[in-house]
Amino acid sequence: MTSARSIIAKLSPLLACLGLLAVWQIAALWLDTESFPTASHALQTVPQILGDPEQLLNILDSIRRMVIGFSLAVLISIPLGLAMGRSARVSAFFNPLLMMIYPVPKAALMPVIMLWLGVGDASKTLVIFLGVSLPVIYHSFQGAKAVEEKMLWSGAAMGLNGLQRMVRIVLPAALPEILTGCRTGLVLALITMVTSEMIARQSGAGNILFNAMDMAQYDTVFAMIIIIGALGIVLDAAFDKLRWRLVKWAEPHQEILLGAS
Amino acid sequence: MSAQRLATALMGALPILFVLAVWQALCSFGYAPPSLLPPPGKVFLRLAQQLGNVGFLDDILATLIRLFAGFLVAVVLGVGIGLAAAVVPAINAVVRPLVQVLAPLPKVALYPALIILFGFDHASKITLVTLDALFPILLSTYYGASMVEQKLVWSALAAGTPRWQILFKVIAPAALPSILTGCRIGLVISCIVVFLAEMISSTDGLGHLLVGAARTFQTVDMFVPLITISLLGLTLNGLLYGLRKYLLRGFPEV
Repeated sequence: MTSARSIIAKLSPLLACLGLLAVWQIAALWLDTESFPTASHALQTVPQILGDPEQLLNILDSIRRMVIGFSLAVLISIPLGLAMGRSARVSAFFNPLLMMIYPVPKAALMPVIMLWLGVGDASKTLVIFLGVSLPVIYHSFQGAKAVEEKMLWSGAAMGLNGLQRMVRIVLPAALPEILTGCRTGLVLALITMVTSEMIARQSGAGNILFNAMDMAQYDTVFAMIIIIGALGIVLDAAFDKLRWRLVKWAEPHQEILLGAS
Repeated sequence: MSAQRLATALMGALPILFVLAVWQALCSFGYAPPSLLPPPGKVFLRLAQQLGNVGFLDDILATLIRLFAGFLVAVVLGVGIGLAAAVVPAINAVVRPLVQVLAPLPKVALYPALIILFGFDHASKITLVTLDALFPILLSTYYGASMVEQKLVWSALAAGTPRWQILFKVIAPAALPSILTGCRIGLVISCIVVFLAEMISSTDGLGHLLVGAARTFQTVDMFVPLITISLLGLTLNGLLYGLRKYLLRGFPEV
């Protein structure tokens, strides 16, 4: 019984995918226009794109930039966010500046940054870095602020110094919140990746997508949407697995019993 | 107390002033040619000039309309679906896998499809904003509502609250802090996305101004929309913070 249930639970995202594709297929058949290909048509185009070495290299380029930008951002943002959460001075110092930068669309900086660093990897990676770092800082900050004082006092009483308390008490206690931030960051990384390549039409997945759009190759447009979407889903699922391992203890326990149960 | 608050505000102003100073220094010592990095004074002067310009205000208005329309639809849908999924298992069973699939999807990639379906006008941009802002709001509503203590529900039931009222009298208020956090993230994302959508394809709005300026290498005009959207985001964030303070006035420190 439980195993059957868990199998259904595991398959449900797949079912949802199939359902969405089915809705797409029906909508496309019903609208029946040149510019909106059916799901099956778009799916058939996917292997064509992935099979073309040049396009594949483009997409791998995008992924590489995203991974570098994301990792750098996480490495720098978590310590900064934790420091802001534990020290009122640090947070008073950085908070207003960060709050000002947060709502600026980082990909919108792309035209400006391109003027300085060129259209190459450096500017795109920098933009992704900027896009990821703010949510991670913000959530690390919130997480570190919410750590129970008692635990820190206990740590201090046991002779941990400031840095040790940070690493052994604040970091683990804030980890669920930090990972929430990283997840938001991951989504933003994908958004910025696509848009930065859309603006600097030189290489990458966003470039293929918007070039196809301009040239009215609608099959390619929709196939690229499937590829980028699948990339997002796979990355998110991998991240969720990692999160599950790290912070199993902090998961919400049960659903509210209000309905028929 | 007020002296301390003043000190905090001064501390916060420091790095902003520092950035402005570095910016000015880069320009005045000739490290950056004005064609690449115009001096801050020039940019702010142009911003002040533009604020008196009707065309510029129209662009801001167009951006704001799209931003608010998209965000509000996202709030209504996100809170509604989130609460429903937390309370009704049948809805949860349908919504959960759909959200798992759709939430991590980079919605900007859908934008070409939205243009094809809804045209270049407001509709496609508003839909994109809604899609992007929806999931943070939906997820935090759902988590907030499913973390509500069972004891509260039992107490309310024992006190004679009808079942259908529990949702509005117990669960929604208890989930409010979480819902508002989600709204804040959703708002920031809306600001980002509306700007991007306008950059990709538009005839008006702040994003369009930026792209237009970038094409003609008018660096001063490139910075003006960037600073405007930053200030808009800051203002909206402040308003939301005020709303949060007002709505959560009975809650212990959040």
